[in-house]
Amino acid sequence: MNKPLSDGAGSDISTWQAFCATLKRDLVIAFKRKNDLLNPIMFFLIVVSLFPLGISPDPVELSKVSAGVVWVSALLASMLSLDNLYRADYEDGSLEQLLLSPQPLYFLVLAKNIAHWLISGLPVVVLSPLLAYMLYLPSEAYWTLVLTLMIGTPVLSLFGSIGVALTVGLGSRGLILAVIVLPLSTPVLIIGAKAVTDVMFGLPVGSHFALLGAILALALTMAPLASAAALRISVN
Amino acid sequence: MWLWFSKLGSPRWFYELSNKWLPWLYVAMMVLMSVGLLWALLFVPEDYQQGQTIRIMYVHVPVASISLACFPLMAVAGTITLVWKMKLADMVAKSVAPIGAWFTGLALASGAIWGDQIWGTWWAWDARLTSLLIQFFLFIGVIALRSAIESQDAAAKACAILAIVGAINVPIIKYSVEWWNTLHQPASDFSMDPVAPNPPEVWVPLLIMISAVYVFFVIALILRTRNEILQRERRSQWVIDLVSREKSV
Amino acid sequence: MHTNLHNPDSGFSSLLQASALFCERDERVLFSGLDLTVSAGELVQIKGSNGSGKTTLLRILCGLNEDYEGDILWKGESLSEERENFLSSMIYIGHRVGVNRILTPRENLRWSASLHAPIDDNRIVAALGRLGLRAYEDIPCRNLSAGQTQRVALSRLLISPACLWILDEPFTTLDVHGVKHLESLLSEHVNAGGAVILTTHHALNVSCQWRALDLDSRRAAA
Repeated sequence: MNKPLSDGAGSDISTWQAFCATLKRDLVIAFKRKNDLLNPIMFFLIVVSLFPLGISPDPVELSKVSAGVVWVSALLASMLSLDNLYRADYEDGSLEQLLLSPQPLYFLVLAKNIAHWLISGLPVVVLSPLLAYMLYLPSEAYWTLVLTLMIGTPVLSLFGSIGVALTVGLGSRGLILAVIVLPLSTPVLIIGAKAVTDVMFGLPVGSHFALLGAILALALTMAPLASAAALRISVN
Repeated sequence: MWLWFSKLGSPRWFYELSNKWLPWLYVAMMVLMSVGLLWALLFVPEDYQQGQTIRIMYVHVPVASISLACFPLMAVAGTITLVWKMKLADMVAKSVAPIGAWFTGLALASGAIWGDQIWGTWWAWDARLTSLLIQFFLFIGVIALRSAIESQDAAAKACAILAIVGAINVPIIKYSVEWWNTLHQPASDFSMDPVAPNPPEVWVPLLIMISAVYVFFVIALILRTRNEILQRERRSQWVIDLVSREKSV
Repeated sequence: MHTNLHNPDSGFSSLLQASALFCERDERVLFSGLDLTVSAGELVQIKGSNGSGKTTLLRILCGLNEDYEGDILWKGESLSEERENFLSSMIYIGHRVGVNRILTPRENLRWSASLHAPIDDNRIVAALGRLGLRAYEDIPCRNLSAGQTQRVALSRLLISPACLWILDEPFTTLDVHGVKHLESLLSEHVNAGGAVILTTHHALNVSCQWRALDLDSRRAAA
């Protein structure tokens, strides 16, 4: 058995391969645990259907709040699934292996965040027209809703990742994750929900998308760095 | 062993230096506060629209302006903690968080009282009040994180990261809330900015009050930090000496 | 059979060199003024009673724990500057072995390898087979025993190109046979020019150059 002992210099594997392998690993884990996959979607469905019960079955009233309801529920669904992001890896030691990879941690964290979005965010985006229909959202606002969720939910995953990374080592995390993450998520919620409402009033929404896009760009560049730093502290 | 001393030296240096500052700060605060309060409550003319309620401004504006300064301050202290591993910076960061939360709470409360008088309601989703409210939540998050993490070093670094992330977010939140609100309610109705069109006899006492509350804030921060220093350095010789001297007196 | 890529002429007889390490945890000094040099071709066993700081020392040496004072050099260069080189030639297996319970051994190893250097499946199967896990490649790890899980983690040593192994209590869950197996792996690695740092309470029986560092006797001396 031939076992070359590298002295570390000139590792020729690319960061790209580690990125893909990490993304794939997290997706495989999620698909093997059907609960992880279904829970956020079911939660999203249930929360949205609670609102008509609490407000009124009246189409006029519901259509007024529909954009906000879908957005708030998407935010909560994303929050609920956040804990899976690093918890299991922390407990079984995989997180240590991740931190000790010679690859830049930024890309590995980004891969995990993208996996989280694909598992918890994308289904919400896909399901949102159905729920919008049930809440009497005017049909001209459907595309805006889907697009704002498409840009906004990745930001929720990226910001949420910072919160989980900071709290993953805590024995009793309870509500602290929500207290940390929810205030950070307010700009996305505000802009996303307002874009949909504005379309209902026939107002232009180009600037809304520009702002959402800017926040997404900022989150993509900065949030994984903050998550990586937070993970190093939590695993310490 | 040298590293030990340099690490300990810095908080001790601050403790002893602040001993000399504090009396002066107390005097400055007394003078500024009494002049400012008396002037604002007794001698400022009634506002032609708001009447006596304008006097709430002399508490609300200084408190609110400090609450806005706390997050950047915490982020700067956090950066110093992360980059230079300075213990004193983390003690300051830890002390700022509750003070910032209190000042934000006071700003919200005084804003609500004022709002009740001029808008006829205790709470309105006014842009500034809303962004203050979210900032209040952010402070609560930092405090909760600090108390949840047992290891002091880990808590320092984790809170530093959260403070920096929060400080980047505060302007975004502020901007998005203002942008969100403008279409719903015209800004002129809810303008909280009564300073600009007013004569000097209105804004000079305001400036005095702002400086008085700033000095109060600095005193509170120094006192909290000194407490923190004593607590963390309780095993070091100079604190033990200090305590035994206090006891013998 | 073994290619020895470590060049004795390159002047790096010492791989990892720690000097004047100081670490305190929860206001208790774990160790201070600790010097440790690990060279290619030797095994260093860290001894000490429970709570003496063995795990903390290993975590400091592998770069997971940064709450320490003192210097750590990798091949004569500061660890913080050489981090990437260091990480690609070091492998760490801790108390928590880093094996996901839902994935199969094969999937676990594939991911671990990809963090360093992706390899083909044949080598993964061979490594698992060598540690007695033939026919277990595609069974979810939650169905494996603790010892078998440990073996999955140890298979990483066989597929990794790392020259420095840092192992925290690698013998704990292994049976007699597994212990012998790991000992021969360690000897093989060290004799091929690799280096090992490990903690264990078990009396080592290896056929290579090794020495022990006792944290307790250091403390007693201080």
